[in-house]
Amino acid sequence: MAISLDEVRLLIEASLPGAEVEVLDETGTQDHLRAEVAAPQFEGLSRIEQHRLVKSAVQARFDDGSIHALSVKTSVPK
Amino acid sequence: MMGPMTEPTLKDRVEELIRENPVLLFMKGTPEQPQCGFSMRVVGVLDSYGVEYAALDVLPALQPLRQVTAEISDWQTFPQLYVNGELVGGADIVEEMDDSGELAELLGAEKPKDTAPSAKQELQQDPQQSPPIHIERS
Repeated sequence: MAISLDEVRLLIEASLPGAEVEVLDETGTQDHLRAEVAAPQFEGLSRIEQHRLVKSAVQARFDDGSIHALSVKTSVPK
Repeated sequence: MMGPMTEPTLKDRVEELIRENPVLLFMKGTPEQPQCGFSMRVVGVLDSYGVEYAALDVLPALQPLRQVTAEISDWQTFPQLYVNGELVGGADIVEEMDDSGELAELLGAEKPKDTAPSAKQELQQDPQQSPPIHIERS
């Protein structure tokens, strides 16, 4: 079961208002995704805490099997 | 029936492993034979520092270990690298911190210029014998 890249982006944007989010399909099968997220909420957080915020935004879609793997790259917007 | 003073739970054992191993990698497969590309990437990074680390293959108890690490560290995908009792991250974070120099600082290790043989120890050398953690199946 695949998920649309837009849906992933919207889920992340909804839980991190103001974030710039780009979601890429790494394998062409729409289940190994890569999200690049720049969010003001990341300020002062460790990388693992930043990644937790992104992962938790899409956790439900991991749990239902829509996403197999999500590579995450986080940054704080300048 | 089982009170808190009975056998240690899987969670207790995992917490003990994290406490007792300064560098601990939960991975799919073994450092010699990783069973997943993400685990292989973290092994590659750790080996490049030549630091000693303990590795635990999660595949024999994937679901119970997911639950336990979710409780302990709010993280349920593998690999997971712990340094000094703290979850550092999975492959993405480990590679980013390798590139930035943060990992060298965290490990207190310089990356050797030559490819020195890695000094790693495995918790579970023989899967047939005394597994390091007791898995309770429900």
